[in-house]
This record gives sequence, structure tokens and C-alpha cells, in this order.
Amino acid sequence: MYEDGWIPTICYQCKAECAILARVENGVVKEVKGNPRGRGKVCVKGMAGITSLYSSERLKFPMKRVGERGSGNFERITWDEAMEIMETKLTELRDRGEAHKFTYSMFPHSVTDPKWRFVNACGGFISTGLPHCDSGKIMAMIHTFGCFPNHHIAPMYNTVPKGGLMILSGRHPFGCLDDACVPKHILDAKDRGAKLIVIDPLYRTEASKADWWIPIKPGGDASLFLGVCNYLLENDLHNVPFCDKWVREGDMDNLKAYIKDKTPEAMSKICEVPATDIVKLAKMVAEAPSACIDAFKSIMYGNAMDWGHAWTIFLVITGNLDNPGGQPLPDIAPMAPVEPVPPAPDLAELGYHRTGKDREKFDNYNFFLQPTWYAAQAIKEDALKVFIATECNPAMSEMGSNEWRKAVTMKNEDGSYKLELLVVTEIMPSETMKWADLVLPDQTNYERWELLYMPWWYNFAHGAALCQPVVKPIGESRHANSVFIDLGKRMFPEYFAFKDDVEYYDIELAGVGMSVKKLQENGGLWSPGAAGFRKYEDNGKFNTPSGKIELQWQMYKDAGQEWPSPELPLEYRRGEEEFPFILVNFRTIFLNNTGAWSQNNAQLRDPISGLDANPCLINPIDAKKLGLEEGDMVTMESSTGKIEIPIKLTEKIIPGCAGIIHGFGHTMGKVASRGNWSSDNELIADAGSTLDEQDMRGGEAHVSTRVKIYK
Amino acid sequence: MRQLSIMVDLDRCIGCKTCIVACRNHHGLIDHENDQPGQMANYIRVESKTEGVFPNLKEDSWVVMCQHCKKTPCAKACEYDAITKDEQTGIVLFDQEKCTGCGECIEKCPYHVIQFNKVDNYAHKCNMCYERVTHGLDPICVDVCLTEALSFGEKEILLMQAEAKGKQVIKKMSTQSIIYVKTP
Repeated sequence: MYEDGWIPTICYQCKAECAILARVENGVVKEVKGNPRGRGKVCVKGMAGITSLYSSERLKFPMKRVGERGSGNFERITWDEAMEIMETKLTELRDRGEAHKFTYSMFPHSVTDPKWRFVNACGGFISTGLPHCDSGKIMAMIHTFGCFPNHHIAPMYNTVPKGGLMILSGRHPFGCLDDACVPKHILDAKDRGAKLIVIDPLYRTEASKADWWIPIKPGGDASLFLGVCNYLLENDLHNVPFCDKWVREGDMDNLKAYIKDKTPEAMSKICEVPATDIVKLAKMVAEAPSACIDAFKSIMYGNAMDWGHAWTIFLVITGNLDNPGGQPLPDIAPMAPVEPVPPAPDLAELGYHRTGKDREKFDNYNFFLQPTWYAAQAIKEDALKVFIATECNPAMSEMGSNEWRKAVTMKNEDGSYKLELLVVTEIMPSETMKWADLVLPDQTNYERWELLYMPWWYNFAHGAALCQPVVKPIGESRHANSVFIDLGKRMFPEYFAFKDDVEYYDIELAGVGMSVKKLQENGGLWSPGAAGFRKYEDNGKFNTPSGKIELQWQMYKDAGQEWPSPELPLEYRRGEEEFPFILVNFRTIFLNNTGAWSQNNAQLRDPISGLDANPCLINPIDAKKLGLEEGDMVTMESSTGKIEIPIKLTEKIIPGCAGIIHGFGHTMGKVASRGNWSSDNELIADAGSTLDEQDMRGGEAHVSTRVKIYK
Repeated sequence: MRQLSIMVDLDRCIGCKTCIVACRNHHGLIDHENDQPGQMANYIRVESKTEGVFPNLKEDSWVVMCQHCKKTPCAKACEYDAITKDEQTGIVLFDQEKCTGCGECIEKCPYHVIQFNKVDNYAHKCNMCYERVTHGLDPICVDVCLTEALSFGEKEILLMQAEAKGKQVIKKMSTQSIIYVKTP
């Protein structure tokens, strides 16, 4: 079944999952390039994917823990033994009426990912890291105009017209987490005469290509855009026909009353952007044929919901919804269901953030995916008994990851672990594996089948892509999808009556008149290519309870959150004396967050072709005040943790902030553990410890942290 | 004069390093199984320069590969005729068979782009993907460039294209056969 030549498949070095071609020669992957039938580009991470495939560190057979959790000692077992262990424990859990105490943490590759099906059949929960990154944006957009975009629904930069504004507010699209084609699309739009505006406490490559860089105090995005909206509304520069037609009656008047005192001058005091610049930005918006915003890190702060709300208000009053150059409202490919479909757990009855006695502190916030940080809380409260992790690394990627590591080693009086089974499927050693009871060797994208159709792709969701194996799998590795289909057949045969993963995808693809074979014969993609603009006009309504755009969040009236607060996150408004710096943790194109895949990739940690250092960036003004020089080793300390790290002076960071890259600090994996670098999550507080503050203002996001720096 | 060239547009280069890894994969410069960071050869590298004081900053990124020099100091340093400037293309080529591994060319290269294979004892570097370009394809770095900051062709044609787009040649950087351009 394996052929030589350029074979279409999908990259999985990050969640963008770009369509690629892999050149196979004598059964070995030699090269990668963008699939010209897709968007034709692969970034540096994707190019380095071959190194992940063939690394000597690949996990090759199933293993069972032999020491205590955290000791990292394992012995080889068979797949049969591994399946038996999982089946026995999950069956026992179900038989004692605690099926809901099973959570699978994963990144689903489609809304019907077979692993997710297994979880639903079990009566367990799915949790993902996605809510950390995007919940403020997703919830805001669902509330205001009833659509589901997350960070991958970036503006469609290829549709931005001449004169249109592309506003990046705490976003690094050149990092290619949407699609590797995005940098080209942005620069092409600039060549057409669109303007690029970058709002960020850090001057990065995007700022170097921008028409205007606006340095901002972290967390100031909501106030900045409330100031812009104030100017637009006070001067009748908003899109009146759009608002008259689509905004719920009364909301515009109430918005105007609320925003009256959010003047550029008042908002400037919060975000520290000069009022004249806020007015200048508002005037540019008023004159532009379109404006879009993309945000990522800024939507992870403790005021994420406020910022998301202000963001949607801005889009609405300027009429930038589902138009060329505005905010896309994506559709999803209409796949066929694989009957019978196992029901999802009853969230209304069980709730998903089962945080024991603290649960009522987080009652207002509702989201359909369980955040991964809840695990530490739930273990402590005996609400989580079986945890499986695939393509995620909670021992490192959790805010306050130390709490996660502590929780998984907590024991009952009889000496047994509170968390009864911890399973990790991975391709390489990871921090989470160190704590696991079972380690199952997973397959890379070059060895596995996968059908991808997500509502959050940069391809506006309206398409499907096939990941197909192009070479023989390494060792005894098996793809997690296939493993949990087989476990499903053993435990719930009624829901797993299809032959295998390929047949499952075939049934789904029938919904669009396709099959796995037809996709294979047609470049691996089903992509009609029409995003569709202003679909709300065809539908005659928005997907909200009223059918109109709902600017005022009436359901939060009792919580006092009908309108967005311009205030900075609480964490930035307290403790300034003791912890004078705001931590700015950021990403690069070279390393895909805390995952073992790119951190353990020799080409991505090579200083020439990747990144092999993570010093603390501070402005020379701050260094002078602290008496620090380039290269000095310092302690960065927050209220919950501290790390030792060298200083790097740079003009590229706003004074008062300290920057480090997200994702370093591994102790597992020969490549990933290079150097004495540290993880930002050692400084960030455990999310579960601040539920009341997060409840309405922050959603699940929680990276707002103050630090002090000393020698 | 026949001279093939690569033009680097600083307006579009974002320093993403995609070309470095693609070049390594294509030319087989890596042992994916065992190589560690810092041990791999590279025919191309990224450089950047930031100027100014917060918040008035400017930054450019670009790539540096063999500049396929006009006067080839590497070839002049080679006593074994292992280095030639190809008459048909202007590409500077290394002959691995003739190379004795003396390392003189590495010392003399002003751009520090020549690599050395310790296992098989020979010097090697970017050959502008000679096997591709002589059969109608672009060099790999040009082919994969994320932002299409690189273009390939005969030097005079590329200069003409740059002028038509309103780009200025950065003379200090473009003294050999690789051209660096930017909008003034």
C-alpha cells in the first residue's frame, strides 16, 4: 500500500494541520512541500516533521509503569496487556456508577474524532487545551452573533481589500498556527494596499512589517477598543444601516449609554496608548472599507471575556461580519453521521468543571469543552479517576503545572493513587509520560489515517482533508484513533460496528459524496473553496436566541457583566509593588507550545534552523533600574513560583514587562531537555485557585501574572 | 555574462527559517535519527538587524547563502581545482571527488557559508540546486519560501523585475550574485 513519489497527506507539527505532499523514496520520507491543491505552503515546523518521524527517541512499544508516578521507570508490555488494563479499569468505573469520572484530554481532529466517540460511549468527558487559548473569543462570538470561531478562524487575509485594515492585537500569525499560507496572505494584502496594524507589548516580525506598531500595556486591548468604539459612536462614524438592520432592538441605545464615558482619554489611562492614537485608529477604521482583528495571547488574560465582548462590539458597529476583510462566520462540512451515535454526557446535570466545593465559584461560565486545568482540582476532590492524554502534555502545559503534577501523585489512606489510571499516548518522551501508568506508542501523521474537518480551520471550515499513511509505522506504534476504536469494539460494540478507522471515515465522507478512496485519487482534499460571504442575509438571521446580534449580554445581568469592563485583569491591578513586572509569555514559529513533538525535534532546537534559548527579555530602561546587564542570571519570581534564567536586553519590549517564550523547560527527551531553560507555567498560578475572578471576566483563560526580577 | 541569481526581498522575508530545513532535507544534510542540535550542516542561514530605540524601531530579516562570487576567493584558495564557476550558469560548484578536505576555502569565504563534512572529509555548500535549475526548476529555498520573498532567474532579469516593482537594490549587500532588495 505504500508508494514512492509525492503523496498528499496532512502535516501535524501543530494544530493548523496544513495540507502537504510528502516525497517518499524506497519507503522513506525524504522531503515535504505544501500541497498545491491546498494552500501550498509548509512552515519550518512542518519541514522538520521528518525529523520527528525518524528520531531515535520515538516510543516503539507499549510500556507499564514500574516505579512510583514521576520516577519515569517503565517495562515493556504487549498491546493486549495494555488494552486489558484500560478495559478493566473503565469497566470497573462504569459498574460503580462513576463513568463520568473518566476524562480524555486530546486535540480532536474533527468534531467526530473517533477518540471523542469512545469518550461519549463511555459516559466520560473530553477536555482540551483549546479553551485556554480561545474561550474568551469563542464565548463572546457565540453570545453576540452566534458563531463558533476559535483562533484558527483568523480573518481571511486573502479577502482583505485595498485600504482594508488588518489589526493584530496580541497575535503572532507569522507563527503559522492558522495555516502556513497566512504570512504570504498578509503580505499580499499589504501589496494590494491593505494596512497592517500591530498592537503588542512586544515588537516582533509582524510589527517590523506593519504600517503602525502600537505598544500597549498587556490586558489593555478591551479598553483600547472601547475607546475606539466610543469615538465611532459619539461621532456617528459607525455602520448605521448594518446596525439598524441586524442589532437587537434597544441594544444600540444601551451600548451608547454604557460607552459614553469610555472616552479615548479615559481609556488611555488604562491601556497606556495615547488618546490621540486611539482617535487616529478610530478615524482609520471609519475610512477603511473593512477592518478585522486577530487576537490570541491577549484573549488569554484574566479579562478575556471583556476583551472578547469589546472585540465583537467593534466588529458589529463597523459592520465587519462575514464580509471580505472582516470576521468570517464559518460553516462546517456536512458529513454523514455514523449511526448509532453515542450520546454526549449531560452537561446540565453533571457540569463539566467538576471542581468540588469551588464549583459554584465558576457557575456563570459555560463552555462545551472541559478545560484541562480542571484535572488537578478534580483529582483532589475525587471527581476524576481515569485520565487519558493524547497529543497533549498537561504535566507542562497547565497554568500552575506543578499543581497538576502534585495532584496525580496524591494518594488515599490505603496508599493507592487518587487518580486510579493515567494513560498517555505519545510519539516521544514527554513530561506527562513521566507520571503515566501506561505509555502507548502513537503514530505520526506520516504513519496514520485521519479525516480532518474542523470548524476552526483557516480554510473557513468548508472542506475536508485526508491524512494517509505514506510509510510503514515505526516499531509497534499504533494510532490512538485505531486503539480506541478497538477498545470501543471490546466495550461498546453497538457504537463501533464499523470495520476500522478507514470505514468510519468512508461513512462520514458519504455526506459530501466522497470516500477515502476518492480523496486519495483527488489530492487528499475535498475543498469547494467558497467560503460564502454575508450568509446571515441568506438565512435572514443570526444564530442567537433573538435571531439578531445581541450586544448586551442580558443573561449576565445578575453578575453585572452585561457590558465589557475596560479594566485590566485583576492580577495586573494588584501586587504591583511586590511584583513590578508583567509577565509576557509568547510563542515562536519554531516551537509548537509545550508539546514534545517540536521541542524534541533536533532541527527546531538547532540554533541555526530553530531556537535553542529562552532568556528573560527586558527593556534596557528596566535593566538600568535593576542594575542588571546582558547575560546576568536572575530569579524571576511570581506569587506562586520562581525560575532561574539569564537576562537579555532588548528595545523590542515595552518597559515594565518581562518576556519569555512559552514551552521550554522539559526534563524528558534528549533534545527537549537541552539547556537550563524554564517553563513560563512554573510562574503562572494554578487556574483552579482563582475561579471566582475567572468566572465572568476571564473565562478559562488565565495567564495574567506579575513577577519580580532579582539577582 | 551568464549569471543565475536569487533575489531576496527584505519587504517580505520574515526570517522563518523554513528554507533552511527544506534545503537540509532536499540535500540530505541531516541524519534525522541521530543528529543533535548544533551538529547539522546548513547551506543557508537567517540574519536580521534591529535599529532604533523603543518605540521607534526598524527591523529587517534576510537569508545568506553562497553568494556565487564574481572572483571566487574559495576557488582561488583551492590548490586542487575542486572549485569552479560554471560557465553556463555562473554557479560556483564544488567537486567532492577532487576535494582533499584541506579547509582553505572555508578560511577564505567572506560569507562563512562553506560547510565541512568531518566523516567523509570534504567541503560543501549551496550549489543553487544545480540539478534542479538546469532542468527548469527553482532552487528549493525559492520553491518553499513561505512569503515568496525569494525569486530565481537570470540576474539581469531579476534586477529589471525589482525596478518594475519599485524595489531598490541594497548595494552593500548585493556585491556578488545574490541580490538583496527593499522598497525605499
